[in-house]
Order: sequence, then structure tokens, then C-alpha cells
Amino acid sequence: MKDHSRGFYKHVIDSSPDYSHNVVLIMLGEFEYLLITAAATLGDDAYGAAIREELGRTTGRKCSIGALYTTIERLETKGLLKTWMGEATPQRGGRAKRMVRVTPKGVQAARQFYDAVMRVSRGASWVAQTERATGSGK
Amino acid sequence: MIGARWSIVETAARLLSCEERQAVLGDLAEARESAWSTLRGVLGLVVRRQALLWKSWRPWLAGFGIALPSSFLLMGVSVNVSWSYQRLLCPELLRAAALTKGSGLFLLLWQTSLLIGWAFSGGFVVGATSRRTLWASAALCYAPCLFCLSRFRIESLSRLCLLLFLVPAIWGVRQGLRQVRLHSSSALLLALTVTALMIPHWDSNAHAWSTAQLNLTWLLSLPAWYLVAISRRDAAEPAIET
Repeated sequence: MKDHSRGFYKHVIDSSPDYSHNVVLIMLGEFEYLLITAAATLGDDAYGAAIREELGRTTGRKCSIGALYTTIERLETKGLLKTWMGEATPQRGGRAKRMVRVTPKGVQAARQFYDAVMRVSRGASWVAQTERATGSGK
Repeated sequence: MIGARWSIVETAARLLSCEERQAVLGDLAEARESAWSTLRGVLGLVVRRQALLWKSWRPWLAGFGIALPSSFLLMGVSVNVSWSYQRLLCPELLRAAALTKGSGLFLLLWQTSLLIGWAFSGGFVVGATSRRTLWASAALCYAPCLFCLSRFRIESLSRLCLLLFLVPAIWGVRQGLRQVRLHSSSALLLALTVTALMIPHWDSNAHAWSTAQLNLTWLLSLPAWYLVAISRRDAAEPAIET
């Protein structure tokens, strides 16, 4: 069992009974979380260009190919993603795709990140405003 | 013009690994990016990849710890070897140095063996520890070479004698790129040989090296002992490629 008695994650662990037993916390960065989420959303169709397009569509920002591939490699090294070379298509000039799949460890890391963001955001003024606007807080 | 732009992109993409090149160029083609945008993307990735490599200590050791200082020292040894060879060919010079033909030959062989041992072990470590940053190590080796070549003033010797060390050094780099680490017995033999060859260094009056220079030459033996250390590491531990 890891020592969870530090900083931000102490708060997360202390307030969540689900994470109190044999949980290994994996720290994710914001972009790492976005990438994992995009890859998970795309499922079997997740590869470089599709993930980039999905990220651009959902965040409104176009990520650079350099940021995308270095992050994919980092996440693969951490065991959060698995990649392999897929088929080539004429649309791509006959070049192969680098397919991406989120591993169970990646899903766990993304869920932890999401839960932490949700928990820490509770009570924030912008969350309350959004809830009032959508009526979801009632 | 358009063809020329894409050929620049293709050339730049060669800096990436084969699979990554396929994936990146394919993604950018699918996104219908322009040639300049593609070039920017490819170069951005290349720069990020290189920057990540420099987060490790290995390229720093190879470039600034070995390639740069060793090339300075090995150029001095190369000149000494050339000088010994010239003395052997010229009886007057041999007599002036109070050497016989036999002792002159011994001196030449001894210095040549040291040069080969030092340059090979240094090259091997550079090749094995900085595969993907070899260009930087090479630049850090060639910069002192160019500096010294431009200031070489011994008329009886060719400037190229400064670069004698490059032959065993390049051989070492090639071996390092292929093998990553030497077999422990080979590494130990190399290190012991180089160290043993250095012992007569302290008694020899044949060279005109100062004590400071002699002390610095001990630094040249360190790569050989580094090879011993890494060859003895747990064989199960995978070699990290940088």
C-alpha cells in the first residue's frame, strides 16, 4: 500500500471510501487526461489523427503533433496506453496509423483524475453558476 | 515549388524513427495540413524528442564528460605518437632524445597501445550511452579538433596527426552502437590493460608532459572502468537507449 498522506490526494483519499484499499495512485497531467479520454471515447478507432481531431473538437484548441506523440509515448511508458501500427489508407498517402488503446490502468488513472477534479470543484463559484444555469444543481 | 516543399518535409521526417515517420506524416496528410504546417509539426516533434533525451544524464556524460575533454587530451597523445614515429625514422632525432632504436620502437608501441585503448573505450562509452544524441557528442568532439587544427604549428608534422585518435574512437563508437555493453571479462581486460600501460608513464623521461598533463591522462582511463561497471550490472536490467 502506498503512502497517500500527501497534499491534494490525501483529501481525495480521505473523503472517498472507494479508494482506501490497495489503490495505486497515478498522477496524470491535464493533457494526459484529455488524451486518454479522447482515446477511450474513440475506442477501436483511436489513432493519432482521430485523437487530435477529437481533442480539437472538444476543447476548441488544436494540439500540435509533437505534443500528441510525445504524450502518447509517455503514457505508453507508464502503462496507461498501448499502441501498435495499424493499416495504411490511401487517404493518408499509404502510410500506416499508430493505433492507441487505453489500458485498464489508464482507465483507473483517468477515473481517479476525474473524481479528484469533480471533488475539488465542488463549491467553486463557476460550478455553482453552471449548475444554476443548467438547473442541474437542484 | 510544392514538390520542393514536400521533399523538405520528407527530409525532415527522416529524423524520426520509421514507424513514427509513417504515423506522423499520415496523420498530417489526413488532416490536409499544408507543407509548411507539416514541416513545423515534424520539426516540433523532432525538437521535443531531442529535448526529452537530454533529460537523462547519459548524453551529458557522453558529450561533456567524455567527447569534449577526451578529444583535447587524445589530440595531445596523437601528436606524441606521431612524434615518436618521426623520431624512429630519423636517427638524429632519436639520438637527441637519448633513445636507441629498440627503446624508440617500444615507446611508439606503448603510446600507440595507450592511444588505441583510451580512444576505443571512450568511443565505446559514447556510442553505448548516447545513441540518439550521437550527433551532439560528435559535434563536441569535432569542435576541439577544428580549434586545434587551426592552431597547429609543428612544421615537421602534418596537421592530420592530431586526428590519429579518431580511427580507434570511431571504431569504439561503432562497437558501442552495436553492443551497448562489453562482456565483463573483455571490459575488465581492457581496463586493466589501459591502467597497466599507464604505469610506465610516470617513469618515462621520453615524453615532455607536465605533471598536470599526466594527471589529466588518468581521466582517459575512466571510460574503460565505466565499461567494467556497466558490464557487471545485473544482466536482467535492460539497457536504456538514449
